[in-house]
Amino acid sequence: MKLRADYIAGGAFVALGIVVFVLGWDLPFGRITAPGAGMLPKLLASMMIAFAIIIAVAGSHGETLREIPWSDFSHAALVIAIAAIATLLYSKLGFLLTMPILIFALLAVVERRNLVMAAVFAVSLTLFAYWLFAIILKAPLESGSLWT
Amino acid sequence: MEVLSSLALGFSVALQPDVLLYALIGCLVGTLVGMLPGIGPLAGISILLPLTFGLDPTKALIMLAGIYYGSQYGGSTTSILLRIPGEAASVMTCIDGNAMAKKGRAGAALCIAAIGSFVAGTFGVIMLTLIAPPLATFALRFGPPEYTALLVLGLIFLAYMSTTSLIRTLLMAVFGLLLGMIGIDVVSGHFRFSFDIPELGDGIGIVPVAVGLFGLGEILSTPSRDVKNDVVAPKFRELLPTRDEMRQSAGPIARGSVLGFFVGIIPGSAHIISSFISYAIERRISKHPEEFGKGAVAGVAGPESANNAASTGAFVPMLSLGIPTGPVIAVLMAALLIHGIPPGPSLVNEQPKLFWGFVASMYVGNLMLLALNLPLVGVFVSILRIPYAYLYPMIIMFCIIGVYEVNNSVVDVWIMLIFGVVGYLLKKFRFDPAPLVLGLVIAPIFELSLRQSLIMSGGSFTIFYQRPIALVLLLISALLLGLAAWGAFVARRDWRAKMAAEAGESA
Repeated sequence: MKLRADYIAGGAFVALGIVVFVLGWDLPFGRITAPGAGMLPKLLASMMIAFAIIIAVAGSHGETLREIPWSDFSHAALVIAIAAIATLLYSKLGFLLTMPILIFALLAVVERRNLVMAAVFAVSLTLFAYWLFAIILKAPLESGSLWT
Repeated sequence: MEVLSSLALGFSVALQPDVLLYALIGCLVGTLVGMLPGIGPLAGISILLPLTFGLDPTKALIMLAGIYYGSQYGGSTTSILLRIPGEAASVMTCIDGNAMAKKGRAGAALCIAAIGSFVAGTFGVIMLTLIAPPLATFALRFGPPEYTALLVLGLIFLAYMSTTSLIRTLLMAVFGLLLGMIGIDVVSGHFRFSFDIPELGDGIGIVPVAVGLFGLGEILSTPSRDVKNDVVAPKFRELLPTRDEMRQSAGPIARGSVLGFFVGIIPGSAHIISSFISYAIERRISKHPEEFGKGAVAGVAGPESANNAASTGAFVPMLSLGIPTGPVIAVLMAALLIHGIPPGPSLVNEQPKLFWGFVASMYVGNLMLLALNLPLVGVFVSILRIPYAYLYPMIIMFCIIGVYEVNNSVVDVWIMLIFGVVGYLLKKFRFDPAPLVLGLVIAPIFELSLRQSLIMSGGSFTIFYQRPIALVLLLISALLLGLAAWGAFVARRDWRAKMAAEAGESA
């Protein structure tokens, strides 16, 4: 059996619907005269499961998982990993240290640019953003818990 | 006469030098946001939203709205010169706009797009001026059942118009509504799906979800090796279209303006849908449909006018009903709420300076954009020459700043990253994320109005057909649902799918 894209997509949403049911099991359903906090989430989860099953069933002639173009996957994975590390560091190191690291990493690791150029661009852009947001527009930027 | 005196009040606000400055900043930023691939009006507005906290609400709204309609102008520049849609609504302009550019008519295509945008934008503002106040008065009759029915109509209309399948669109809308259930239940006070994370107590914000899906998601699926910067730069003297090109564009601009405005009023990703419909109509009624895809003037004039008129039309439900027609409008509504001003029917009477000042600023803004877009085309072209490899790290940085600034919360940045991945996967599996965001936006209003309706009626659903307005809205919803189901089951390939396929063939 070929693994169709819609089987995966439909299956994922069925699973999500079940997760909503499990997590919201304790929420009161209420009565139709006084709906509880759990009524709408459970109704919506039921609808999600129903729609997802239709998609999976109707997708028996759709494209296979291999036919989806995944050539951008390594780019996406690297970008998201670097952004996640930057987010971890953001509240600790603050804006002025995290952002140059983020931009430098994206240029050096993902784009394989010249390291000096990447460093100059990363520092210049961060300083420009700091000047624009913190000084001109007076927007509070994260200063970092390590320094305060 | 009352409208004219109110409009005079609006111009007295909009023409103040500091208000003009904020309108200009909004239009400039909007043009840039529309031009840059990977950052649409939603991400742009979200990033700049925290910066408006210190402004008075009129200036904040004027600047943010300027970004929105400015982005519709800016999107055409990238589409025509680079064949990359700066934002989703400009997809159709890519086809014939870039074909015109390759024939040496880039300047004319830009000029036609700018004139079309100006005419449509101005038409939209005139209609907004005439329609919004009486609609607001009418909306005072709306109670919870009417709001519930209206929101159902919005979702069904979006599903009906969507170029992906009805079921996929409805699934995305349900997903969005479920996300909107996260946080404290406003009626009973129960915590729902918040996993003891205090930041989730208030629910998931629209900004991190939307920036993740549309901003980061786009960047993840666009490696720099796929982006070509071969800009076709027009010379200034080539900007004026010929008399024949002007004649060919007049009809499409007029049709696109009317169509776009009325599509824009209905909840959904109206400005995107309107440009698709406009392109399909122009191609269908053209005496030379074979020219579409090869540089047809109508293929630029129609969609560009339609998306601008739609972006103005989208303000009608926001200002008169307090209902967001899409994620961008939802963020603008959030901006008003942050300033303590609830958008809705009472806005016209209780905040006349804000309402009319905002309307008047849109007349001024459209003029500014016309003046900006043509003479500054050389400047914009040089921005487009920045390699994408350097551009997207900058966009990611601005996304993080923008999302973090809304609540000073790293949790929001994590949500943005998660939805970046979700957006990437949804694109791979051919799901449109727009209904998801609309579902998230309307979830709190929908749940509250539905539960209030049921409490009012003692649990009887008859309340929805005992009240004439709600009944009419639900009948329209049922009709649209029936038509969509007919298209899916009987005709197999309905007009929306054909339209998408035709657009794909032309591209």
